[in-house]
Amino acid sequence: MIVAMALLVFSRALAEGGHEDWIEAGVRLGSGHVSLQAPQYRARKTIEYRLSAEDLGAVEAAISKPALNGRLVAAAPRLAVEGLASSASSALPVAVIGVDPERESNLSSLPEHLESGRYLEGDDRLQAYVGARLAERLGLETGDRFVLTAQDASGEIAGQMARVIGIFRTGLPEADEGLVQIPLETAREWLGVPGAVTSVDLLLDSSRSVRPVLRSLDASLAERSDAVRAIGWRESNPELDAAVRMDDWADYVFHAVLFAIAGLTIINTILMSVMQRTREFGVMRALGLNRGEVGRLVFTEGMLLTLASGVVGMLIGLAVVWLFFRNGIDFSSMMSGEMTAAGTVIDPVIVPKFRLVQVAESLLFVFAVGTAASIYPAWRATRLDLAQAMKFAE
Amino acid sequence: MNDTTAAVRTENLWKIFENGDIRVEAVRGVTFRVEPGEFVVLAGPSGSGKTTLLNMIGGLTRPTNGKVWVDGREIGGLPDRDLAELRLNRIGFVFQAYNLLPVLTALENAEFTLLLRGSEAEERRRRVGKLFKRIGIEGLEDRLPGKLSGGQQQRVAVARAVVGEPALVLADEPTANLDMATSTSLIELMEELNRELGTTFVFATHDRHLMDRARRNIRLVDGQIVSDKRRD
Repeated sequence: MIVAMALLVFSRALAEGGHEDWIEAGVRLGSGHVSLQAPQYRARKTIEYRLSAEDLGAVEAAISKPALNGRLVAAAPRLAVEGLASSASSALPVAVIGVDPERESNLSSLPEHLESGRYLEGDDRLQAYVGARLAERLGLETGDRFVLTAQDASGEIAGQMARVIGIFRTGLPEADEGLVQIPLETAREWLGVPGAVTSVDLLLDSSRSVRPVLRSLDASLAERSDAVRAIGWRESNPELDAAVRMDDWADYVFHAVLFAIAGLTIINTILMSVMQRTREFGVMRALGLNRGEVGRLVFTEGMLLTLASGVVGMLIGLAVVWLFFRNGIDFSSMMSGEMTAAGTVIDPVIVPKFRLVQVAESLLFVFAVGTAASIYPAWRATRLDLAQAMKFAE
Repeated sequence: MNDTTAAVRTENLWKIFENGDIRVEAVRGVTFRVEPGEFVVLAGPSGSGKTTLLNMIGGLTRPTNGKVWVDGREIGGLPDRDLAELRLNRIGFVFQAYNLLPVLTALENAEFTLLLRGSEAEERRRRVGKLFKRIGIEGLEDRLPGKLSGGQQQRVAVARAVVGEPALVLADEPTANLDMATSTSLIELMEELNRELGTTFVFATHDRHLMDRARRNIRLVDGQIVSDKRRD
């Protein structure tokens, strides 16, 4: 019973941790837990639907409100456009994102995937951070120049020369083959949109903060609802949302099985303890306890047994969670190379996550199972044939 | 007819066990009476019905037919709660296999019925301590049953049966698992309690030694009383 509860608590924390890591990896390579953008931008990703300097000011004010304190980890303004990257040898379609290097490195995991050169810095102008596969296909190395072409704000095709300052490799084909980051100011000048961005993306402390943050932002930006809209990662990254939901169901089924095993173990333990002590209960009845009192005794004993072992099991489970809380569990030996799913590189190190609600749920489960598991043995105890129970018959 | 003077009285008592086609008449029309303070043995061969008769007197088994009065109350029709209360307050049990609760110490076993009656801890300890001294198991209070000899366990069981000063003690083969010396000393102890406290003792036994010591021998064969002899 103790082992079942410990296993339950640990596996739930591990699943929660794996889940949260997966979401975080997805949002750090994508558009954050929450993205603030023009309402039409999600359907048509062009700079026509951008946030003006005035909108950006309102967004910056909204995200600095105290309601977001403790939840907001980083905010990065971005100006994204679909374009073409051309070198002397080839031309390929790319997504070009103008970023504020300092703020971007607080949100995005892209700088951590540096393969050669360096990441963008604050005073960079014509530097570009390029995906490794794209660089290979364009025949580019660090220091090489290439040209970015895209439609500017006036609808004209505009070109921008850039120099490769760093090359990254995430393991994610869509990023490595088709993503270029350049300084935000360079992108604004190139596209003729001074002070504008296409989104401000937010990294939160956890995915559970998305709802309250969205509520707060909706309230703060209510007056500008026709110009700015806050959307969560589930909406901005439907592929990751679908994958996470599927994983959720797999978790539910797994834990339902685990809960059932734990429940049956508890029922069996209590029932066995009653069966083995038939004579003892018979003696108690003979000495003056009535049926109801013996039933209550067995029920209380079952509940205490369940609660005690449940709490001990939970403490052991939490101790194991705590043991792996700092460094996590490294599953890289089970993976060959980078493992990607739903536009995310999956981190092989899973850090179990502990939440108070897990303790509450586990206690509730223990209580429910203890009750269910104690009722039948208690009823059995009330039905004892006294003479038989004590082998009193001839 | 209500009889408030007898410690135990039965009238045309029957117990029939039925299991499918098998029908066993364990007790067949037994009528007898035990006066307060008697020291009575129900004797007879195995299967003669003495334990079943004892069970019916103690309210552990309900009769198929007939009536039983204990301490003046007809118990056949009593609800479970009232029967339990009667056992708690008026009847003490001693079993062949001692039947001490294994997780309780000797003292806790002995004070169990007092605890159920709601006696204060101090009063319980005082009465059990006095009784333990009297029956020669002083100093064994904190021992678990597993750490006691058979004779010591049966003494604790006797202490448990009499500590609440019941009107009636029912003992089923109390000496069956004991050697002669221990058995003799236990019988002497129960005789002493019978004399001094006036407690009625009814035994079911094969033990010739116990039969010889009893002042009254009721012999059962095939569920019927075949003789009822008193010793002067």
